[in-house]
Amino acid sequence: MSGLRKFSLKQARRGQLRDYGTALAWTPDGAQVAMASAAGEIVLISLDGAPQQVLQEADGQSIDVLAMSPDGQFLAAGGQAGTLLIWRLGESPELISRLDNPRTWLDHLAWHPQRNELAMGLGSYVQIWDADAAEVVTTVMFESSSVLDLAWHPEGTQLAAGGHQGIKVWNCQDWDEDPQIYELPTVSVCLAWSANGEYLASGNMDRTLVVWAMGNPYPWQMQGFPGKVRDLAWSEFWLGEAPLLASSSREGIVIWHKHQNDDQGWNPQVLELHNARVSAIAFQPQTQLLASASEDGSICLWADAIEVVQLLDGAEAGFSALAWNPSGTALAALGQAGDWLLWQQRRPKTGFF
Amino acid sequence: MVNTPMLNTVPVTVLTGYLGAGKTTLLNRILTYEHGKKVAVIVNEFGEVGIDNQLIIDADEEIFEMNNGCICCTVRGDLIRIIGNLMRRRDKFDHLVIETTGLADPAPVIQTFFVDEDMREQLNLDAVVTVVDAKHIHDHWDADEAQEQIAFADVILLNKTDLVSEAELQDLETRIRSMNIMAKVYRTQDAAIEMNDILGVKAFDLNRALEVDPQFLDEDAHEHDETVGSIALVEAGAVDAEKLNAWLSELLQTQGPNIFRMKGILNLEGEDDRFVFQGVHMLFDGSPDRPWKPQEPRKNELVFIGRDLDETQLKEDFRACLV
Repeated sequence: MSGLRKFSLKQARRGQLRDYGTALAWTPDGAQVAMASAAGEIVLISLDGAPQQVLQEADGQSIDVLAMSPDGQFLAAGGQAGTLLIWRLGESPELISRLDNPRTWLDHLAWHPQRNELAMGLGSYVQIWDADAAEVVTTVMFESSSVLDLAWHPEGTQLAAGGHQGIKVWNCQDWDEDPQIYELPTVSVCLAWSANGEYLASGNMDRTLVVWAMGNPYPWQMQGFPGKVRDLAWSEFWLGEAPLLASSSREGIVIWHKHQNDDQGWNPQVLELHNARVSAIAFQPQTQLLASASEDGSICLWADAIEVVQLLDGAEAGFSALAWNPSGTALAALGQAGDWLLWQQRRPKTGFF
Repeated sequence: MVNTPMLNTVPVTVLTGYLGAGKTTLLNRILTYEHGKKVAVIVNEFGEVGIDNQLIIDADEEIFEMNNGCICCTVRGDLIRIIGNLMRRRDKFDHLVIETTGLADPAPVIQTFFVDEDMREQLNLDAVVTVVDAKHIHDHWDADEAQEQIAFADVILLNKTDLVSEAELQDLETRIRSMNIMAKVYRTQDAAIEMNDILGVKAFDLNRALEVDPQFLDEDAHEHDETVGSIALVEAGAVDAEKLNAWLSELLQTQGPNIFRMKGILNLEGEDDRFVFQGVHMLFDGSPDRPWKPQEPRKNELVFIGRDLDETQLKEDFRACLV
């Protein structure tokens, strides 16, 4: 694939936030991206160069998470102040909800993949907010610690929350039903469902990675990481047995390929190039190309999650976040010093294809 | 347990003490006193700090037990999460103070800064400061938390001295000293203390000299029979590093949960440099220090603070490590 269509990105825009870049969220059409910083500002940047829209000025209270509803109607934000903010986007974005959660650092938000329902981690609870009806759907208890990560099953049938002692998965048809427990003898730092919904992965504090196949209570456990497993990404597209799973720990990235035989588990492939902590990893939608951002100030693009085909820079103090737009034609990144950059795919030359 | 304060790491002061001892008064002083430091505070008891500040963050105590409940792998998950968020704003503060609840065991807080990779890389533990209510401590003597808060401390504020007599104070101070001979004890009213005495203390800096009150070593007067106490060993002679290693690892494995803190300076055989070490429960860290000075008597000094420690046995076992 990669031989046929040489992929490369070109810087399209760049700018500056007031402090450490914390969060990114693209609109579903991929034309705009929302960005936030530790100084509290939230801006909306257009890929085409239109002037930025400021949704919130820096107020000194960090914004740490942004989430765009799948229909592109709502943008949710949360942070240090504990206030959940929801804007209705459009010609002139309008702040429609402002929900205070005192004493809570709001750092995990996730929209249901089809409905305008937002899951948020409120300490050791998870609350579901219906943005259309502007009301709380339910509040469930994670219990064993604060919620350290949240993710809806891609079909929207279940919601997973991770933290101390593992992951709890609620059935969205019946929130009162006891959650299914994926137990771990450690702390789940990050979790991710594969796009086909068949696998659930947990990156853990004890330097392990655990993957469950749905319907099988016995997970695979991968070891040998140099530190906490901080970030996970599944490929949307794959050629082998299962989607590729990328994991990051310190300056290293490991790609896991599932073996044909379940008993053989997953084969690791180490991607080494970064020389400081990897801060974010993301597969390009619809391909096996992986982008990795690091505190070393570089972003690597790994074709087929194997070899580096392009290096991007522009954040001298190091990169803190990165996100592809949904069509995979543009990449946005934030820096620890507040720089933001957008790259766009070069237009393919007209000719053979 | 490597905790060499590096450039760019943020020093952390852990503030412990029973509810009502004066922690909040001290916190308010830290936040208002002009000491040239930008201080971020993590509070566990909400609503007490009367100062409006963006860098006062609430956190609820969350204990993460890892490795099947191994005591040294018990850390504070809430601190890892909140400090992780806070470090994105590190240009906004240059010192972090963590207030623990009155009933908290200080060990998991301390261990968090040695065990967690993020905390180790970005922060350095400066000191554990414990505020003691001179009048009401007697109501809590038997509580494990009260004893641990004193035992783990580097700095102890004997607060509310105006509410008790000099004789009572003397008695209390002796009692505290027998529990923890490493800590500096200050008598205060309204938690009034020089900021330099509690911020920038560098108590966990290995290269800071071990300061044992020489009086303590002479004293045979450990008249209080607390289960928590200090044991100081001073021995001339050179230590066989291999024997010492074997003894210490055996000691930490069998008695780690009872050894709260230890510190020492050793004269290793064949070495020109002093060897310094410290430990918190089963976490241990040591490194060569400066060379022995020509006139300096080469000796070994070790201090253990813990519960139910057997002084005779410790002495005997240590002597067996001498060449």
